[in-house]
Amino acid sequence: DEVRVRQKITKVDPLEEADFDREFRALMQESLESRKLELRARPTLNMMIPMNIFEGPTKDHHGRGVEGESGDDTLDEEAGGSKEVRVKVLVKRGSKQQTKEMFIPRDSSLVQSTKQKEAAELEE
Amino acid sequence: EETGDDDSYEFGKGDFTEHACRYCGVQNPACVVRCNVPSCRKWFCNSRGSTSGSHIVNHLVRAKHKEVCLHKDSPLGETILECYNCGCRNVFLLGFISAKAESVVVLLCREPCLNVNALKDMNWDLSQWCPLIDDRCFLQWLVKVPSEQEQLRARQISAQQINKVEELWKSNPDATLEDLEKPGVDDEPQPVVLKYEDAYQYQNVFAPLIKLEADYDKMMKESQSKDNLTIRWDIGLNKKRIAYFVFPKEDNELRLVPGDELRLRYSGDAAHPAWQSVGHVVKLTAQEEVALELRASQGVPVDVNHGFSVDFVWKSTSFDRMQGAMKTFAVDETSVSGYIYHHLLGHEVEVQMVRNALPRRFGAPGLPELNASQVFAVKSVLQKPISLIQGPPGTGKTVTSAAIVYHMAKQGQGQVLVCAPSNVAVDQLAEKISATGLKVVRLCAKSREAVSSPVEHLTLHYQVRHLDTSEKSELHKLQQLKDEQGELSSSDEKKYKALKRATEREISQSADVICCTCVGAGDPRLANFRFRQVLIDESTQSTEPECLIPLVLGVKQVVLVGDHCQLGPVIMCKKAARAGLAQSLFERLVLLGVKPIRLQVQYRMHPSLSEFPSNSFYEGTLQNGVTINERQSTGIDFPWPVPNRPMFFYVQMGQEEISASGTSYLNRTEAANVEKIVTTFLKSGVIPSQIGVITPYEGQRAYIVNYMSRNGALRQQLYKEIEVASVDSFQGREKDYIILSCVRSNEHQGIGFLNDPRRLNVALTRARYGIVILGNPKVLSKQPLWNGLLTHYKEHECLVEGPLNNLKQSMVQFQKPKKIYN
Ligand SMILES: [Zn+2]
Ligand SMILES: [Zn+2]
Ligand SMILES: [Zn+2]
Repeated sequence: DEVRVRQKITKVDPLEEADFDREFRALMQESLESRKLELRARPTLNMMIPMNIFEGPTKDHHGRGVEGESGDDTLDEEAGGSKEVRVKVLVKRGSKQQTKEMFIPRDSSLVQSTKQKEAAELEE
Repeated sequence: EETGDDDSYEFGKGDFTEHACRYCGVQNPACVVRCNVPSCRKWFCNSRGSTSGSHIVNHLVRAKHKEVCLHKDSPLGETILECYNCGCRNVFLLGFISAKAESVVVLLCREPCLNVNALKDMNWDLSQWCPLIDDRCFLQWLVKVPSEQEQLRARQISAQQINKVEELWKSNPDATLEDLEKPGVDDEPQPVVLKYEDAYQYQNVFAPLIKLEADYDKMMKESQSKDNLTIRWDIGLNKKRIAYFVFPKEDNELRLVPGDELRLRYSGDAAHPAWQSVGHVVKLTAQEEVALELRASQGVPVDVNHGFSVDFVWKSTSFDRMQGAMKTFAVDETSVSGYIYHHLLGHEVEVQMVRNALPRRFGAPGLPELNASQVFAVKSVLQKPISLIQGPPGTGKTVTSAAIVYHMAKQGQGQVLVCAPSNVAVDQLAEKISATGLKVVRLCAKSREAVSSPVEHLTLHYQVRHLDTSEKSELHKLQQLKDEQGELSSSDEKKYKALKRATEREISQSADVICCTCVGAGDPRLANFRFRQVLIDESTQSTEPECLIPLVLGVKQVVLVGDHCQLGPVIMCKKAARAGLAQSLFERLVLLGVKPIRLQVQYRMHPSLSEFPSNSFYEGTLQNGVTINERQSTGIDFPWPVPNRPMFFYVQMGQEEISASGTSYLNRTEAANVEKIVTTFLKSGVIPSQIGVITPYEGQRAYIVNYMSRNGALRQQLYKEIEVASVDSFQGREKDYIILSCVRSNEHQGIGFLNDPRRLNVALTRARYGIVILGNPKVLSKQPLWNGLLTHYKEHECLVEGPLNNLKQSMVQFQKPKKIYN
């Protein structure tokens, strides 16, 4: 059901944009300030990556997997040329850790840095 | 108009899903998040529309809310976004970081967690913190931006509207955008426009108009209670009780139609307890008697005949279905194709053709040969997703429609849905389509199942009763039991209903074509049906929302048939009519530049009769498919002033009067002359069913009926068989001879109803063999169109006065027309 509609060019009202920007920044500022006041104390760290993340059918994080398996779930899959890479998102449900899979664009800064590091590591 | 469904179903399948963006209605789970503030919990999408921030970011900023939750069907599932380390839920502070080496990411707050040095020592890369909200939009890989198509079909909300509704939510969290537009009680409603931003705006305009009309209809019908009625009791073929009574019709607009629901009451006496029962009108007899089939047969005081009361039971069904269709149109993307969606709203869409193989011949079996303009119509319609066919009087609209439906059905696109606003038109079409050999199911409202129909064998209820296979014998047994006893035990009733539904479904599904009224297309029995191809006949007589009901069942190709030069839909509420509810979708599409394909050959009128309508209403394009010889009234000795020109304008100078009810007009002189003309026709060998008397006023209609039966020179019965009716009720029909009584005759007032050119067109185009118009030229000539008509008659020496047996050309002077008619 392809349909071509001649669209009006939607212009954002500059006044509205400026007003919105102001409120946006105010909210951001307020958020930061409140945190500074609230959390004087150092937060305790609870950031260990659970080991069971790497269990399951996928191969290890260096991409040197079982032969014949495609490396579609790691960051180093340039060969595939796909625009997205699969990552695991770590979340907490109460005190329990959980992982969910997601796709991130290959050109995201989040992926880029990791990839560069990996490449560097590999070279070593 | 159709009312009454015993089963209650929900209308409008396209209910707003809970997770639809509260700004724009986008409901793709991958594109929406929920504001997690307990007092709010509204859903918003991640599209920008015409605002600087995406809808969700806009909301958070304007409402100063800071927490969100993802949709359960999104990749992360139902998840409140929070800092992995400290649990902070302020989305303005959150961003993703990734593990140094692993393909693992977490959300981390900017303050303070991102600044904790100890983290650097772990496996996390803090150099690339990726904020959740980027460029005033959520990260697009976390919350998708709706596709361009999705955005195009969403509500086009402006920044101003957003700010207004956010303001409104502060005092009323459940307010909707519609509340912003709601007119006050005394405000004039928003008028209809040519183009709509989106289906929500469309709904905002039409919903209040439908509501106004519904309220008016309800008020009018419920005020129709009548007391002291005399009942004649009878039993129908289906063994149900039938009450016959005369429903005194006062001089206003309400006319009972078969299918209407009435409540009959008896207040009780020494020998009878108080009693009441609801029933459906199954018939209106020629003697203006109403036949009411009662729902329950028990306890009916059949030995009493006097002192009954009757009330109208108003049903909102048809209005509910219109509202439901508009809602579906807005929120359900599959309701109509994208092309049709944008086209109906008046958006500029690139022309699309339907890629279906064309048949070699455009006629259809069982139908008369098509003429050139009909072939052209069929051919063009089959290639276009939206087409309009204009069928002037007598041009073979029904045959053309049937041929189109035949070819559509043969294209293998699934079942074709065929609708019209009136039951009469649906029956006619169903009959013609069935003649082509297609399998047709005519779906009737439950309340009309007892109303006799010329296509009974095609109706679903008939087919269910007569589907005589062994598996269905259970249903038949139960049906018989129900017919005999009037009701079933509750378990049997359950079984009966289930069996009946299954059978209905089976029969409907095996049909090539389903025919029903526009309102009938909203019947729950069609709820799960999809129709890609829809044809609506008489579409110029239905309101837009009514037309929408058959369309929102998945249409990809639509054909609207009608004639915007004839009468449009009847709107009772003046306020709604003024705001434009009386304009049909067909007309709006014409105004938007869709060119109707006009059928050009008329097969009804004597060529002399079609000349003026053709020139005045159809730019002279109407050709005659009948010859003068074929319309010669052989053996009929009638004093036409010009032989071979069976028409005249009979000059009447008698005064108009206000009728007894005070709301209508009558004209005694015209009525007396109508009787003389009728008598002359009858004496010359014309039979009553060939004659139609048309008058725009109910006062005159009643007066003529009365006058003829009392003063008619021939047998009373002959006059009783002559149809005397309003212009409006003659639309779509024809008679051999038409007598038109104009009534209005005054010095200073206007000509009321006669002012509408479309009404004049209908009045002039009903006759096949001859027409006589009675009126006052001095009064009528002030109106330009009537002036033109009078001049036409005068030029052809058909403007006459004097006694019928000695008609002379009239020298009456016309007045200058006042306004230019366009
Ligand atoms: Zn909120
Ligand atoms: Zn939205
Ligand atoms: Zn934190």
